[in-house]
Amino acid sequence: MVCSNTHTRTRRARLTRFARWGLIAIVAWQSGMSSAQQIIVNPDVGVVAIDRNRARLIFTMRVNQWGDKQPVTVFVLPDDASLHQVFAKSALGVYPYQLRRTWDRQVFSGTGQAPVQVANEQEMIERVRQTTGAIGYISDRPDATGVKTVKVE
Amino acid sequence: MDRSRALLALLSLLLLSRGAAAELALPSGLQLHGFASQGAVHTSSNRFHGDSPETSLDFTEIGLNASWRLSPRLLLAGQVLSRRAGDMSDGWPKVDFALADINLFMQDSHRAGMRLGRLKNRLGLYNETRDVPFTHPGIFLPQVVYFDKVRNLVLATDGIQLHGELYQPFGTLSATLATGRPVVDENVEAALLRGQIPGAIEPRENSWLASLWFHSPAERIKVGLSGAAIALRQDWNLTRAHPRIDLTYWIASAQYNAERWSLSTEYMGLPFRGRDFQPVRPDLNQTSEGYYAQLTYRLRQPLELMLRYEEGFANRDDRDGRTLERQTQGLIPEHAGSSRILSLGLRWDVSRHWMLRTEYQRHIGSFILSEIENPNLLEHDKHWDLFAVQAAFRF
Repeated sequence: MVCSNTHTRTRRARLTRFARWGLIAIVAWQSGMSSAQQIIVNPDVGVVAIDRNRARLIFTMRVNQWGDKQPVTVFVLPDDASLHQVFAKSALGVYPYQLRRTWDRQVFSGTGQAPVQVANEQEMIERVRQTTGAIGYISDRPDATGVKTVKVE
Repeated sequence: MDRSRALLALLSLLLLSRGAAAELALPSGLQLHGFASQGAVHTSSNRFHGDSPETSLDFTEIGLNASWRLSPRLLLAGQVLSRRAGDMSDGWPKVDFALADINLFMQDSHRAGMRLGRLKNRLGLYNETRDVPFTHPGIFLPQVVYFDKVRNLVLATDGIQLHGELYQPFGTLSATLATGRPVVDENVEAALLRGQIPGAIEPRENSWLASLWFHSPAERIKVGLSGAAIALRQDWNLTRAHPRIDLTYWIASAQYNAERWSLSTEYMGLPFRGRDFQPVRPDLNQTSEGYYAQLTYRLRQPLELMLRYEEGFANRDDRDGRTLERQTQGLIPEHAGSSRILSLGLRWDVSRHWMLRTEYQRHIGSFILSEIENPNLLEHDKHWDLFAVQAAFRF
């Protein structure tokens, strides 16, 4: 009786420890993913956080104005840039080929436009800083001045 | 001569505009895009996109596209397309679409608007961008659903479209409703009537088109239903009445997208009625159908494999074509009433601007062949193969 009780307790302890480590691993992995890139906007854009669905609607060019009616200008890196691929998958939850397919369908049927493509992160920061209503993304870097970082919820 | 000069002009315009777009700062909101592709088609027999048994290069697509977002509420967009496809299309540049897209309501959760002008029809997964090589897997679209022999019947409409989108946590619902004049040409007549009858086919009334689509938030799942009702008349008559054709073209679509692969499947139904062709033709009342399943697999970053199987029937109540052969006293062989096609393709996205593709198809039946390219139906071979390569450029 006592013996089996102790046994159960150790097993439970082991499980708890396992779960705790698992949780830590997941949190570490998740924060690792989210700190890998972040959404940036022009400082005059009045949002501090954005949910994933809305971010997806903006980056697929379906929603083209901010809450205060200001037009959105979307900047992206080339399809084959690794930052673009990571951003699409972890921040937006879509595959890069799906973004390309959506933009192409809109452009070549006249029902929408494609985002503005920039060559690299430096240009991304520059253009987002200069363009009112602009949105883009960068890797987690502290030297991005003149742009506002937005949390993805 | 005229044709090649027009092609050359369009091509140089395309290259110029690419240079210009890179050097000049375009006004904000103005975008220029374009594409050009050249294919080579070889078939064991039967003509497809030109004189393919001798290897045809008569398959060229060039498009130049401009869009201008004047405000979040207003978008102007247009595209000029030159398409050379054997005897089906001569490459003369045409206005593919030219429209004003007006947003009437815009909220976080929904959007509704109106489009006016020449509009590409939202039919199936591919019709809107069917001539843009980068936007569909395979060099050729599944012919049993997206006939190239009668493409203009369902391609575009001069008219008005209302559209609405609802964004919810469970996904997006979008719907369109459109009406206007369909754009038709001689391919339509040849394909629908299986031969020439004097006089041109023209729209009799405005067409109606509708579509309803659902996709999950990250577009893993996409399903849709779309259709067009079209009324035509023949500008020629023996009796007092003008011959009339009424048809409905509808497609049910489903697609699943994973990281490495996509699975797409569509069913097309085309019921049509022909009246007052007597004494040249009896009244017609039949339904064509076609369906396919298509798997694309992204091998490694620039390479993609495509595997597709499709079946199509001129008359779904006469799938083996025997009734057709009997009724026409052998003038139309039974294998002209159906097509079963297995396709295998490889796509290589060489760079951001260039793509190379190759495709092999095994055909049983000749239903998908153009009657303009193959006027003598008795010469259609039942078993044939197709091999094609294509190079495409975009900006």
